[in-house]
Amino acid sequence: MAENSEPRVGVFVCHCGTNIAGSLDVKDVAEYAKTLPNVAYAAEYQYMCSTPGQNMIKEAIDKYKLTGIVVAACSPRLHEPTFRIATKEGGLNMFRFEMANIREQNSWVHMHGMHDEATAKAKDQVRMAVAKAAYLEDLIPKSVPVEKAAMVVGGGVGGIQAALDLASAGIKTYLVERTPTIGGRMSQLDKTFPTLDCSQCILAPKMVDAGRHPNIELLSYHEVENVEGYIGNFEVTLRKKARGVMNPVEAAAKGIVGGGCNGCGDCTAVCPVIKPNPFEFGMAPRKAIYIYHAQVVPLIYTVDFDACVKCGLCVDACGEKKAIDLEMQDEFPKYKIGTVILATGYDFIPVEEKREWGYKRHENVIHALEFERLICASGPTGGHLVRPSDGATPKSVGFVLCAGSRDNTQDGVGKPYCSRFCCMYSLKHAHQIMEKIEGCKAYIFYMDIRSFGKAYEEFYYRIQNEGCKFIRGRVANILEDPDTKNLHVFTEDTLLGRPVDIELDMVVLASAIQPRDGATELRKKFGVSASSDGWMLEAHPKLNPCGTTTAGVFLAGVCQGPKDIPDTVAQAEGAASAASIPIHIGEVELEPYFAQCMQDICAGCGMCIKLCPYSALDLVEKDGRTVMQVTEAKCKGCGTCGGFCPGGAIKMQHFTTPQIVAQIDAYLLGGE
Amino acid sequence: MQTMQNMHEYAFFLGCIAPNRYPGCEASAIKTSAKVGIKLLPLEGASCCPAPGAFGSIDLNVWYAMAARNLCLAEQMKKDIALICNGCYKSIYEVNHILKHDEELRGRVNEILKEIDMEFKGTIDVYHLAELYYDPKVCGVQKIRDSVTTPLTGAKVACHYGCHLLKPKKERHLGDTEAPTWFEELIAAVGAEPVEYRNKMMCCGAGGGVRGYDIVHALDITNEKLINISEVGADAISELCPFCQLQFDRGQIEIKEKFGDVYNIPVLHFNELLGLAQGMSPQDLALDLHAVDCTPFLEKVL
Repeated sequence: MAENSEPRVGVFVCHCGTNIAGSLDVKDVAEYAKTLPNVAYAAEYQYMCSTPGQNMIKEAIDKYKLTGIVVAACSPRLHEPTFRIATKEGGLNMFRFEMANIREQNSWVHMHGMHDEATAKAKDQVRMAVAKAAYLEDLIPKSVPVEKAAMVVGGGVGGIQAALDLASAGIKTYLVERTPTIGGRMSQLDKTFPTLDCSQCILAPKMVDAGRHPNIELLSYHEVENVEGYIGNFEVTLRKKARGVMNPVEAAAKGIVGGGCNGCGDCTAVCPVIKPNPFEFGMAPRKAIYIYHAQVVPLIYTVDFDACVKCGLCVDACGEKKAIDLEMQDEFPKYKIGTVILATGYDFIPVEEKREWGYKRHENVIHALEFERLICASGPTGGHLVRPSDGATPKSVGFVLCAGSRDNTQDGVGKPYCSRFCCMYSLKHAHQIMEKIEGCKAYIFYMDIRSFGKAYEEFYYRIQNEGCKFIRGRVANILEDPDTKNLHVFTEDTLLGRPVDIELDMVVLASAIQPRDGATELRKKFGVSASSDGWMLEAHPKLNPCGTTTAGVFLAGVCQGPKDIPDTVAQAEGAASAASIPIHIGEVELEPYFAQCMQDICAGCGMCIKLCPYSALDLVEKDGRTVMQVTEAKCKGCGTCGGFCPGGAIKMQHFTTPQIVAQIDAYLLGGE
Repeated sequence: MQTMQNMHEYAFFLGCIAPNRYPGCEASAIKTSAKVGIKLLPLEGASCCPAPGAFGSIDLNVWYAMAARNLCLAEQMKKDIALICNGCYKSIYEVNHILKHDEELRGRVNEILKEIDMEFKGTIDVYHLAELYYDPKVCGVQKIRDSVTTPLTGAKVACHYGCHLLKPKKERHLGDTEAPTWFEELIAAVGAEPVEYRNKMMCCGAGGGVRGYDIVHALDITNEKLINISEVGADAISELCPFCQLQFDRGQIEIKEKFGDVYNIPVLHFNELLGLAQGMSPQDLALDLHAVDCTPFLEKVL
């Protein structure tokens, strides 16, 4: 394309069926476009994104010798790539394309009785786009190589599955887990619905696989400290928390032959300090040197330095293996990775703050994860469900659904969303007590039973037939009998239309869930947003549920929103697939919206350096002068530096000052 | 004794039941508060709050306007309101809150008030005297304890908070509505032993117009509450609301007549207990006007 020729802009106005044409006069807009300066051709068409629509662009470029293309249609988030390719195929540089969003920003918000105003606004939008299009320049996207390694943050079932998939696809994968073992929430569960598989039995093989896969480096007891870089070239600094115990590899590195922790447990036997085990929600003890449970991966003990009295008994017990180092300090190793998957899971809300149900006030009110541990054979009671108040076997148990979910009280604890798996696990809980304890009655207090998954509705019928009582009503409050510690559950049975007061031995709260403690700090380090409900924000809720708006960062499992195990595993596999694509391609193309320093007029003041949120700018010496230089791969094109530069020496590609001024002028000076 | 300069001054909204049924509540409010640095000034010209259940259920506009008129009187005095009745609290506190935040409604109410040359401006706040007693910025538990000359030692007292004081939670600011303990702290400060009992936060039975509409239903609720209180051997019930007091006190006579159940548990407003503990005589507190004889309780503590 000749650089010095007059701009010749082609304008294409889309009907989008009636999406646009139903609310404004498309033909009028196209006719108006023909009157604008620099417009060589204008047309309208039913669906510009269709193949004939795209062909119109290609043919017009050739026929009318166009230098810039304007399509007035939907949001560039939808079809900018489509029209850029059409522009490219027509023989122009693909960045010679500008989109006017007359659908989301016009017809859809001016649907009723605003036809003339909407048409006038569309003309404004087209006029501004044409003004910019006359100043568009050829730009070349930049390719950067991609590090052939990935990181997965969070070692629950989602993180494990994602790591296994990445590793099996030949990618070196770092699996980062904050606690001493991988396994996450799923390893705390007794059985899984609706198949009633033993949770740990089906998870353990995956944990073991993750532990010994040659492409997986298991980084348990690590946390993300700092993140730098961009897709293809992230540099992640981890905090390797002082574990107090060396694995065989670490021991060998220190010259201890045949040493390191072999998981024998001699240390824990002699440790004199007893603390509650958080894996069992404090219902069982552990020592100051501990493992969470018998099936941990990796099988390496951990010292709780907050509790350890450094008596040294464990060091003696460990003997020649010399695995224990009570003076160990945190370390901060760095990892270069191409892409990352966040899979940080969930916590329960602090359900004790829903005071009406008396959790932590009434001894026999427990939450659902505590129930899982109490009913689990490897749990603190060997699978015998007991009342915390007196150790007795309960003969009647109530399950309070939506304990903080679907709750609009705005008390700061309740969540407006559905936590999505509580209905199903509560049905499973009801089944478990009726099966394990002869004559034990199960009551489920519910708003709706949401049994939406495969074989879930059938499971619901099965539990009904087993004799579980279903009472449709939100539980108003739970009172404790001061003598027996039995619980009175008050609700309104909304099917019978009468108040209910049922005395029960035990109540289980199906607590609402919320993002893991620390998830907010983590996602900010990776530049991931949160949706209004606090969960991490996917790139598109339907069409890109694994991606985020930060290139190279993907989501798996509940950190993106409540989901059960099948959905978590499915999303993890999706995220792994998405995260492997840039690595397998080997390079990523970055949009060329970089800042460019016009070094001949740069004064080298350095003001922009501190402003840049991405550390993309540096001062360099060039021809004896200090000038700014942009690292294009780091620049996100945010424009902070360009807007600030006192000398006007920074040019924002594709958003240059002449382009923006032309748009503003077109808006302010044009119009009918 | 504190100097007048250090006194926190409030416009004292009396309500109806205290002066008409339990004058001891009124007298003790004025006298006990003076000993802990609170001066209650007469709110002259005040009407009924009006009763939230009876008026609010029938015509909200009347409820808003009458409560707003009482608020205007205090605004003219440039004093915050203190009161001693949960029903009054519901009307006066809540209407003040609503009118401060709802410009459209405020305009409508002011249209009505214009007929008597008044305007609601939203310049004052409304407090229950008990929350001022508990608030260390105004009084605080320690000051209550220090004011006691005759500790009510040896008496078990069951606390009844009352519904309108704490609920609905999102329209109040007094914290936990399920298992609060600040009233118990005040009871302990006067030397008595607060006792926990089953379903403490249950309604007295009277509020919301239930007593007026269906006395048997109201008494049934009261009876359940009295069963729970008698189970823990309480020597007295203390509350923060003359209407709750009426329900527990007169109600015991009515329960005896209608259901045949007899409890004989004296019912005293916290102000009356504080008055006793500060040395006021049972005559000063007009305890002889209570329906249930207070003598056994008095013999235990005095």
